[in-house]
Amino acid sequence: MKTERGKGHKFILRLTIIACLLFLTGCWGKKEVEDLAPLLGVGFDQGEQPGTFLVTEQFARPKKDSSSGAEIEDRTFSVEASSVREAFEKFSEVAYRTPFMGSLKVIIIGEDFAKSGDFNNILDFFQRYAEFRRSMYLVLAKGKAQDILNLKLRSGLLPAMAIKSNIEGGDEISVFPTVRLGHYLTILGTKSTAPIFPVVESVKSREGVEYKEDGKDEAGEIRIHGAGVMHGDYLADYLTDEEAKGYMWLENDVIHRLINTVDLNENSVKFGGQVLKANTKYRVKVNNDKMEIQYQIKTSIAIDEILGPQKQLSGLEWVELVKQAEKDFAKVIEKECESSIKKERELGLDFLGIGRHIEQKNSAYWKTIKDQWEAEIADFPISLEVKVTIHHSGMSSSSASNSGGEGQE
Amino acid sequence: MERISPHQFTTLGAAVILGTTFLPVASIVTGVGGRDGWMSVLPGFAVGIPYCLMIFSLSEQYPRKNLLQISATVFGKWIGNFIGLIYILIVAYLGGLLLGQVGDIYQVSIMPLTPLWVFFLGGIFLVLYLVKSGIEVFARFSEVVFPLIVIALLLNVGLSIPRIEQGELLPILSEGFKPIFLGTRKIMPFVMTYMLFLAGVIAFLPTGKQELSQLKKGVWRIIFLVGILDTLVVLIQLLVFGPAETIRLVYGLLVLGKLVEVSRTVAGVESLFLGVWLAAAIIKIGSLFFSVIWGLESVFGLKGVKWRHAIAVVFLGISFRFIRGPSLITEIGLVDEYLIMPFVALWIPILWGVSRWKRGAGN
Repeated sequence: MKTERGKGHKFILRLTIIACLLFLTGCWGKKEVEDLAPLLGVGFDQGEQPGTFLVTEQFARPKKDSSSGAEIEDRTFSVEASSVREAFEKFSEVAYRTPFMGSLKVIIIGEDFAKSGDFNNILDFFQRYAEFRRSMYLVLAKGKAQDILNLKLRSGLLPAMAIKSNIEGGDEISVFPTVRLGHYLTILGTKSTAPIFPVVESVKSREGVEYKEDGKDEAGEIRIHGAGVMHGDYLADYLTDEEAKGYMWLENDVIHRLINTVDLNENSVKFGGQVLKANTKYRVKVNNDKMEIQYQIKTSIAIDEILGPQKQLSGLEWVELVKQAEKDFAKVIEKECESSIKKERELGLDFLGIGRHIEQKNSAYWKTIKDQWEAEIADFPISLEVKVTIHHSGMSSSSASNSGGEGQE
Repeated sequence: MERISPHQFTTLGAAVILGTTFLPVASIVTGVGGRDGWMSVLPGFAVGIPYCLMIFSLSEQYPRKNLLQISATVFGKWIGNFIGLIYILIVAYLGGLLLGQVGDIYQVSIMPLTPLWVFFLGGIFLVLYLVKSGIEVFARFSEVVFPLIVIALLLNVGLSIPRIEQGELLPILSEGFKPIFLGTRKIMPFVMTYMLFLAGVIAFLPTGKQELSQLKKGVWRIIFLVGILDTLVVLIQLLVFGPAETIRLVYGLLVLGKLVEVSRTVAGVESLFLGVWLAAAIIKIGSLFFSVIWGLESVFGLKGVKWRHAIAVVFLGISFRFIRGPSLITEIGLVDEYLIMPFVALWIPILWGVSRWKRGAGN
């Protein structure tokens, strides 16, 4: 009798397992990959109607005749909506594929929209909806985000992918900040620090770079240059290239850099080089009865280029030249940092995170000044100490010159 | 009667106490302790050690009996049964809520369109299957699964290191020790929930002197292993998100899982972590299911398959009652803090004290 019951139980169990295998093979609402439209970039601009914004979404469409299967084509739409969800609803009405948000690489904020505020409201969807990842990049656009996403780049890349590639290759030059959504939200939580974004802009021929145009007066290239400082929800100001570079030093964000001393007037010999490594530390200390923050920047540079000397150098001269280069590079770095600090003081916005540094090192002192920190920024003492070490001067000791013959003085 | 070995007791205990704590722990301790909240995790778990030792001491005095049976012996039948009734209500309610959390987590994170009943029924089916096999098989299941949970957690923590933000841990102790005390209070309910399970499972533990000493060592291992793991989980979230975000994120560890990226090739492994989390949740819910069974058996003498099915229905009923995620999470917090903690914090020391006093008086 018991055996019969046991057999019955086993039969029911097997039946249940088979039913599960048959009916629970996928999740509810599953979508085949070919039915999905991977979202690569989203842009936000000011809408024409009050309370609306223009959302531009760039989707990838796999190329049908692609040999590798990895090539994609552009599918970009713009709609005006009051919320991001409403925008997606409108996209879904025209797109036959379901948007897949997990592939989103970059969010672009148009200049007018950034200046008008309401920026954090639209970001709520991106940090709340589970399909998104906090590793996506945030950038500001010079001009409209829609124009950036609609560019036909000469490289053949979609603008969203080109921006992603530029940012990910940014470590080589370290001239603009990298801001992921997660980083931005963390900075937002500190309250005292003003967030900062890299700025993306389209580049027409002869706008700093020359290239062969395809006949139309349209930009064919894109670049990331400088940064924008946010005050709460809106864009307060842009940082110039030099100010952004200073920010990178002070934030310890320099991985590698290409650097030159061409703009220094003190010395007729100019150097160009590559930063091999860099490290910035800071100390909060008392100086003349006043608290100050002292930045210590240490960097190693390899000289790749020397402009000016027209003679063969002796061993001693070679060493002296390298020492001169160390001083000159240090001056350039100091200048970049000082221009960044000057901007911070002018704006009264702590994009360098100095308040947070003070809190980290001397929380008791920070508690006494945090409520009036924005006013304190203007004259809070900051000092700099830059130490440059030249590792080598490349493959030659002297520049090539017409010195009059071998062995001549 | 079934028996579980000291090793099985250790892994089962660690799996139950870790249970689902690693998901809310960071938000909870950072919420009260701020940047220093992470330091309160280990002390919070350590509070459980004296409670465990009290339970073992009672078990030595009343071998092969669970704490409900011991309560009936020490306090008398009526008080003992009243305590048993509260015990059953609490563990059944929490079990149902945690079953509901399985649905909430999956729907929030990776399966938004799958109906909640699929998670509830799937979860309770797995629990019933484990419970049917008995406590020994349940312990063996945790022996297999617990190392996987630990590996998944460590991987999640380790692979999140590249996302660490500079200096988020500093300043340390800027608010003194107060945040640590506040955090410790919030952690205590986790370990008290384990006491509810330990109160029942002691009847299945070996009672020899040598084994008892192994069990006591096992308790230290459990507390420190789980305490350290949860501390790491809080630390990594604090380092990656900063305190404000850590507090705000409901399931921060899943967000970390989404950030994992290996060589720009492997990304978004949160589904794997969720699979492991399901196993942890099943162990936790299973332990509460066992507790209800032992409670019904000890207080009302009810046992058998039909009562197990009745408990499953109760669990399902509770989980269907809380289909609103925010209500569910708030309710779990309230049950932990205002039901489980005071109940266990009073019941076990009083039982231990009265039992010792009676033994002393008897001598």
